[in-house]
Amino acid sequence: MSSQAQQASMAQDGATVRRPYVRPISKTSWFMTHSRYKHYMLHEISSLFVAIYAVILIVGLFRLGSGPAAWQGWLDAVTSPIGILFSLAAFVFSIIHATAWFKAVPQAMRLMRGGEVVPGNLIIGVHYVVWAVVSLFVLILAGVA
Amino acid sequence: MSIRTIKLEVLRYRPEQDKEPFFQTYTVPCEEEWVVLDALNHVKDEIDRTLSYRWSCHMFVCGSCGMVINGEEKLGCKAFLRDYSGTIRIEPLRNFPIERDLVIVQDDFIEKLTSVKPYLIPKEEKSIEQGTYKQTPTELKTYKQYSMCMNCLLCYSACPQYGLESEFIGPAALALAHRYNTDSRDVGRSAREDMAAAHEGVWACSFVGACSQVCPKDVDPAGAIQQLKFSSAVDYLTSYLPGGKR
Repeated sequence: MSSQAQQASMAQDGATVRRPYVRPISKTSWFMTHSRYKHYMLHEISSLFVAIYAVILIVGLFRLGSGPAAWQGWLDAVTSPIGILFSLAAFVFSIIHATAWFKAVPQAMRLMRGGEVVPGNLIIGVHYVVWAVVSLFVLILAGVA
Repeated sequence: MSIRTIKLEVLRYRPEQDKEPFFQTYTVPCEEEWVVLDALNHVKDEIDRTLSYRWSCHMFVCGSCGMVINGEEKLGCKAFLRDYSGTIRIEPLRNFPIERDLVIVQDDFIEKLTSVKPYLIPKEEKSIEQGTYKQTPTELKTYKQYSMCMNCLLCYSACPQYGLESEFIGPAALALAHRYNTDSRDVGRSAREDMAAAHEGVWACSFVGACSQVCPKDVDPAGAIQQLKFSSAVDYLTSYLPGGKR
């Protein structure tokens, strides 16, 4: 008996007819329904700022290769009030981006050592240490530290 | 001994008479050690026999009583009433059609679970006389976490990707594929690859991570999926090397 015929037969017997209800999901605002989805969107959006900042740096390299006037023009642009504001925003979003991915590393990279799973916090901690060391190295290289 | 009275707001849907779901409020006298499932059982036994929901073990083993409590995916047997104040809103798991009240239609998940071959595929079949397939404690630890899944479907409810793209195989089924792929006694990885490495498989996951946050057994399906992505990417790239499949 087909399922439709079965249902019709059940209905005749006074039994229940199946009519599953599908709740609609908004394709444009689903992430507003829970804080965990908002956090996800935040660290996804943060990648845009990271990408734009990377493009600005690459443009800077090309400007450097184009001569002193072009380089000075790039420097003036990034040190203008809007340039500084963007750099600050990019810095904040970079931290959001980096910390979100550091947190995710132990999930994507599960390590076994000596028959035991390496604790996630150790893996995350190593990332922060490397981050600090590299940052310090860059600051020393830039003559800031 | 009743120590307080709570209000439950339960999403009702009776297909034979309701056009769409609606919230019904029940006032329930509850005891200190009660969980949400106890309160629902009280409603069913004493107030409204027509209320439908799934449950079985009442002890955090069977995974039947998954529901959304105050907007969070929970097992009804693990959600203590003492942890809630005010009206408690109970809804069926999200992203699944509602069969009736808190009961969802699970067919899509069952099909997807079957598609990833969630069972041991050994190199050579052994008869009972030949004994068991052995492995070391370390080999067990490699996949044990992923074997704790009890198919409660909280992860599917929390996964926006599954809600938006219903073809996605989803967290629990992929975590179970990973569980068998990483089992030393199993050689079925290539048999599972067609489903796991497909677009509807791991690549449909955008790593929101909600599945792992709501998992009551700490299976970490999101982690399993990212590891499957890695092995699937390695497979793809090595297939272009000399002697590869392409």
